[in-house]
Amino acid sequence: MLPLKIALRFLKTSPVQSALIAAGISVGIATQVFVGSLITSLQASLVEQTIGSTPHVTIQAQEEGEPVRIDDRVWRVVREDARIEPGAAVAVRVTNALASDGEQSATLLLKGGDLDGLDAIYRLRERAVSGTPRLRSDDIVIGTALAKKFSLAPGDPLALSLPDGSRRTLRVAAIVDLGSEAANERQAFVNAGLPRSVLRWRADEFTALEVQLLEPFDSAAVAEDWRRRLRETSVVEWQGQNADLLTALQSQSSSSYMIQAFVLVAVALGIASTLAISAVQKTRQIGILKAMGMGDRQASRIFLWQAAVLGLAGTAGGVGLGFLLLWGFSFAPVQFSISPEPTFIALSASIGITVSMASSIIPARRTSRVDPIEVIQGG
Amino acid sequence: MAETGIGPASRPLVEAVGLTRVYGEGETATVAVDGATFAIAEGEFLALIGQSGSGKSTLLNMLGLLDTPTAGSLRYQGDGVSGLPKAERAQLRNQLIGFVFQFHHLLPEFTVLENVLMPALVAGARPAEVRDRAIETLELLGIVGLEDKNANQLSGGQKQRVAIARALLNRPAIVLADEPTGNLDTTNTEAVYDLFRTINRELGTAFLIVTHDRSVAQRTDRIIEIRDGKIIGDVRNEYLTGGS
Repeated sequence: MLPLKIALRFLKTSPVQSALIAAGISVGIATQVFVGSLITSLQASLVEQTIGSTPHVTIQAQEEGEPVRIDDRVWRVVREDARIEPGAAVAVRVTNALASDGEQSATLLLKGGDLDGLDAIYRLRERAVSGTPRLRSDDIVIGTALAKKFSLAPGDPLALSLPDGSRRTLRVAAIVDLGSEAANERQAFVNAGLPRSVLRWRADEFTALEVQLLEPFDSAAVAEDWRRRLRETSVVEWQGQNADLLTALQSQSSSSYMIQAFVLVAVALGIASTLAISAVQKTRQIGILKAMGMGDRQASRIFLWQAAVLGLAGTAGGVGLGFLLLWGFSFAPVQFSISPEPTFIALSASIGITVSMASSIIPARRTSRVDPIEVIQGG
Repeated sequence: MAETGIGPASRPLVEAVGLTRVYGEGETATVAVDGATFAIAEGEFLALIGQSGSGKSTLLNMLGLLDTPTAGSLRYQGDGVSGLPKAERAQLRNQLIGFVFQFHHLLPEFTVLENVLMPALVAGARPAEVRDRAIETLELLGIVGLEDKNANQLSGGQKQRVAIARALLNRPAIVLADEPTGNLDTTNTEAVYDLFRTINRELGTAFLIVTHDRSVAQRTDRIIEIRDGKIIGDVRNEYLTGGS
């Protein structure tokens, strides 16, 4: 442990230099932690806003407006896939309706299906602002914007004109906030039997089978598999329909990685140059130690330890500073919150230490070349 | 730890045969040491004299395993050492040889005690194991009480004594002292030579003192003189041995 002891003493006898370099590492790692967590959380928030309560994969008819047959075979393909979120698969029938209270009217998209399945995807219970989501034959669950427009409260009747010319009056069971103004105004959920009677479809005929996945970014692979197995249907997935968003996310990730990489390079150069200066400053000491029998490897390890100690101290400080920045950011008026991921923090920390260690290669190699004779005779 | 004490007379501590060191190649080649042949017995107390540039420092560096001869052979306690790899030479240097330089070369980051302990720590010992020996060595040199001082807080004479204590810690078979009193006043010069003699007597450590000062060399038992890289004299100091 002599190299460690000497390394610590060297660091201790140049406190300002040691503090500056540790601070440099801290700033680098703090930037890494902050920028990385910010971008990750921002992206997670964007993805959540976009697809958090919409189906990730939808099985529908190849012809628009035609029903798709959701028989046992289709259900088996879907339910046997381990990548789907358990319970988050629902067969739906969709029809238009015109809501009117005599003074104003609004076009609605009625989605009929099993309440539990719809809830698993659209989180109706969680998003209910008032009332209790129920889908009995005359129940309807509407969005907040529609409720406001028609001044509706749970229990109020809502008269609908349906495409087959019939008229129905349903009772508002619950008002939900679906997360977007358009959905809150147009989307409504009803009993599965209502659209069926309008569309006059058979019991196994549906508009679509909607599914959410455990991992949203699996959607392309899942859709690809299902397309192969369910050739008579059309399988669409959210990534295919949100190419612009994905491009934006990818660009954001790339720029974030660039920033992080350049910060790390700057940190590495900083450590390497400071350690190199330290190695020059300590040439005499290294020469003396070598004269009394210290080997090249042991001498090189002094600077490896210096780098390790600086790296550890700087990284610990950097993680702390990063959390401080994240805490400060929590007061910023933004729509999302940053939740730092332990694995990412651990990754940043290990990168910080690794970069520090790697930076000691130049000074460590320099010490191997120190000739004790020159030091001794130079005085 | 190195073997210390006086060894059998039949096996010298150091044997140099045709020791040669050439710097550069071809027309620019400079012969710094040219075929030096001599032996040093265990516990011997001798001087190596010569003018500046005579090759005495180069010879000392080869004896100290800091430099490798371009020709000739060097043996320590019967074992050839000139062809050994760098790491093994470093280890032997640590075990067999103590250095005392003109400049004390103490490590300014460490205390007196830590400086003295350093050769043992380099060899892998734990401080607690060798602390008593370090204190004992400081006692021998009359500088007990300075252990916790920083090397920078000492006087020139004290620094040189600490450097000598450091050279002696591993109880080397030989101390190579290169102009050890070059920077000291007369009083301290006297004191250091007295110390070398005492240590030589009490610990049986051999001393090779390099100097350009004949009056200093006169006080040793044997004088090797080098000029232009060649050994031109190797005499017993009858005056001193006869007189004491």
